[in-house]
Amino acid sequence: LPAAGVSLRLCSTGGAPGGINKPVIERIIRVDHAGEYGANRIYAGQMAVLGRSSVGPVIQQMWNQEKDHLKKFNDLMVAYRVRPTVLLPFWNVAGFVLGAGTALLGRKGAMACTVAVEESISDHYNSQIRTLVEEDPEKYKELLQVF
Amino acid sequence: LRCQLSVPQRALQASAVLKRVSDEQHKEPLASSSQQQFDSHPTDQQPKEEPQGPRPSYTGQGGQESEDYESEEQLQHRILTAALEFVPEHGWTAEAIAEGAKTLGLSAASAGMFQNDGSELILHFVSQCNTKLSELLEQEQKQVQLGEAEKKPLDQFLRDAVEARLRMLIPYIEKWPQALSILLLPHNIPASLNLLTSMIDDIWHYAGDQSTDFNWYTRRAVLTGVYNTTELVMMQDSSPDFEDTWRFLENRVADAMNMGNTANQVQSTGEALVQGLMGAAVTVSNAETRR
Repeated sequence: LPAAGVSLRLCSTGGAPGGINKPVIERIIRVDHAGEYGANRIYAGQMAVLGRSSVGPVIQQMWNQEKDHLKKFNDLMVAYRVRPTVLLPFWNVAGFVLGAGTALLGRKGAMACTVAVEESISDHYNSQIRTLVEEDPEKYKELLQVF
Repeated sequence: LRCQLSVPQRALQASAVLKRVSDEQHKEPLASSSQQQFDSHPTDQQPKEEPQGPRPSYTGQGGQESEDYESEEQLQHRILTAALEFVPEHGWTAEAIAEGAKTLGLSAASAGMFQNDGSELILHFVSQCNTKLSELLEQEQKQVQLGEAEKKPLDQFLRDAVEARLRMLIPYIEKWPQALSILLLPHNIPASLNLLTSMIDDIWHYAGDQSTDFNWYTRRAVLTGVYNTTELVMMQDSSPDFEDTWRFLENRVADAMNMGNTANQVQSTGEALVQGLMGAAVTVSNAETRR
């Protein structure tokens, strides 16, 4: 009689430290990293079109902030040993195209794109914060500070 | 030896079996530790059962609910580990598991707890090897951090890690091709793939990989390829101490290193080309506007 209900749980490596919910953390970090990466590419696209115009320095400044955010998530990714999303090449192209496309609509278009992106990012982060706090604010204190 | 229960599925039944058989077989008093229920077999390399025992590889959470109670899962792991000794003779089969159970003082029928094709035994073995590899790499990392050892160059590190992991197969090498084919059965693929990917990820982690872009995937894919091909070569290798295999491994790792360099060269060539084209476009557009 095969032991139908009994299957050995094999976790070969990488035990979860201190009882944090690893899958949730991994997903959060992966998604946020992808988002920051995409945002970077959007600004790169905008700079490619509007870089030499008068609004260029503004975009450059915002881009530098995003670079900071991306670096932060890169560090988190290494610290928690999270794998990056497999769609990175896609976000690479899509972000650039979106940025360049909206920039071609003129500076109003570029700014509108930026505002929309930032709004959706902040909504997204807020719901992630809520998820983490609901579970246990203490465990995730470090991560929450990043947000 | 009374072969009582046919398939002890429930943990309570299992521990009841254990207690009854152990009472029969071992007239001498049980070992002093209250958690230990069996005389340790001389060749049994399992650590003593303690609630806070160091068994991070098997259960993600605290396995035991009371001090005397050994979870069913831990029992299964002990049986499978004991069964490994009999694999060279019986292969990855229920016979090996039955023999292993017998050395622990259990009824041979407890092999009925496991599937008939030996999958669980093989997966258990792979998981155990991966854990050993992680521990080894962790040790080495500590030594480097303490300054007791030199940090190895990347190709050397990868070579040594893969070699260390493959050497764990040597005692079972006769029966390993059978194990590989069982691991490729559809119902085993999720588990075996999971074990493989986490092992490769571990090796890269200890090698110091910090990539957060698509390189993360290419590196792991390449190393997986290196590992799998070397494993297959090892199956067919009859040279002394598998030196042909290690030479093959060295060449594959060197290829992998070159791949990285080639990729960089392609990229810089591409960039140079693009700049050239942009320059040409600007020149042409200037020429046009001036006309």
